[in-house]
Amino acid sequence: MARRARATQSYSISGRRAGDFSTKDAIQPLLSPDGFRLDGRRPHICRPAYLRTGAVTAAAGSAYAEFGDTKVIVSIYGPRESKKAEAFSDIGRLNCSVKFTTFATHIRGQLSQGIEDKECSSMLYKALVGAVALHTFPKTTVDVFALVLQSGGGDLPVVISCASLALADAGIVMYDLVCAMSASSVGRQLLLDSTYEEEKGEDGGLMIAHMTSRNEVTQLTVTGQWSSTRLSEALEVCLDACVKLGEVMRTCLKEAALGVPQ
Amino acid sequence: MVGLSAAERVYIEDGIAQDLRLDGRGRQHFRSLSIQTGVIPQANGSARVRLAGTDVIASVKAELGSPQPGRPGCGNMFISVECSPTAAPEFEGKGGEDTNLELAKALQRNFLGGASGAGAAIDLTTLIVIEGKVCWELYIDGLVLSSDGNILDALSIAVKAALSNTGIPKVQVMGGLSLEEADFELSDNPEEFSHLDTAQVPVTVTISKVGRYHIVDATAEEESQVSSAVSVAVNSKGLICGLTKSGTAGLDPSILMDMISVGKRVGLKTISSVETDIAAAERTLEAE
Repeated sequence: MARRARATQSYSISGRRAGDFSTKDAIQPLLSPDGFRLDGRRPHICRPAYLRTGAVTAAAGSAYAEFGDTKVIVSIYGPRESKKAEAFSDIGRLNCSVKFTTFATHIRGQLSQGIEDKECSSMLYKALVGAVALHTFPKTTVDVFALVLQSGGGDLPVVISCASLALADAGIVMYDLVCAMSASSVGRQLLLDSTYEEEKGEDGGLMIAHMTSRNEVTQLTVTGQWSSTRLSEALEVCLDACVKLGEVMRTCLKEAALGVPQ
Repeated sequence: MVGLSAAERVYIEDGIAQDLRLDGRGRQHFRSLSIQTGVIPQANGSARVRLAGTDVIASVKAELGSPQPGRPGCGNMFISVECSPTAAPEFEGKGGEDTNLELAKALQRNFLGGASGAGAAIDLTTLIVIEGKVCWELYIDGLVLSSDGNILDALSIAVKAALSNTGIPKVQVMGGLSLEEADFELSDNPEEFSHLDTAQVPVTVTISKVGRYHIVDATAEEESQVSSAVSVAVNSKGLICGLTKSGTAGLDPSILMDMISVGKRVGLKTISSVETDIAAAERTLEAE
């Protein structure tokens, strides 16, 4: 398929002052004494990302994303006729659904049988809907179906980024791409783009969805205790990472449009 | 949902721009708050909070359980919320489920801290009875009886009041030093209980953006005009304990930071007045 393209790149947040969150005395099992994480990354480095559009032939648009161990596939169907049960709407509808496979986690069905998929679906909707030009498909529905094949931490941000790439691939009119990123606070360190292990042991977490060209935050959640300065520094690191991720996503779309072979 | 005419919408928005809202409040003022504790005799702690037309109840039930794998030194807290269809017809059936889940999730972010157990509203290590084996589990349930906007903030105040009201039965640990031999006995004397340390329990303040202005404690009418809102949980030390953005419109990061700092400032003010109200409610309860 001509529109398949590749954008593999690991990107670093090098512009930041390195000493912001690091203290030598913070000895955490998630971080080696010389400041490396379990997977060998520095605290402010993202996982290697692999993005590709056109993963599903039957869909109007689709994308596949791989961030470290987190693997996600998103298909877009529509715009198509809204369900009869839905009330009349002048503007279009966005219907988001996130599912986890039973084998996504170490323990079978850990995320697929609870309410996690419902929570993720509503978060995905809230992150995307502000970026989609709903008035361009009145009275109809666009379905966003996301499937988490493997859960390796930071599932929701990967789903959000991948879904916005898939929407672009489907030719749905958007104001901007939505790039999402998460970070974990462990001791006094901030670990960007955290893995499953880091999320399990975090003292606090942050997830942000950002429209990079318009510079607007569509979704933000924070857990754990943060001082205002620390929170604003963490937000800056994440926003920086979102901008870099946005560039990778744009490259991916451009390559797909130009038909660059893999 | 509130249906408003164009004229009503303009009236609300202009009022907010002039710092004079429908009920005569300024942009950063809460409505009058009433707190009543000990309203549910079956629970270990409970409170009812009324914020003008918004009426919520929170209850805390304590049960003995076992710590989660991976954090043997921490007790557990669970939060759920139910919006009764008696409060508003849209809470019936599936619509209620989504609201329940969203409110519960926001409260969990604000009260439960990180996955490691750090930063929780109640120091989870104080809930341990026998390390790695037995701990207290606090089940916090919120119930929305009537809704006139700002349910989340009312619920967070109710949870804080209910936690302050909570009495945990005394437990006597006996037996050997090893984990296997350790045993415990629950006191059956109803007078023998301990209170939780609630000094670090935050309150949530929702900052809503209407036009170019930020308001706190929005009524249902005002909420229908909100483009986006940020709910910030603040504790008495001024630390941010959790944050949830709601509304579909995007926010510029600098406006977002502004809203967070307004939330922090109003939160610190609210928390001291809420703590006074809770203390007063506890005194009334004891006098009865």
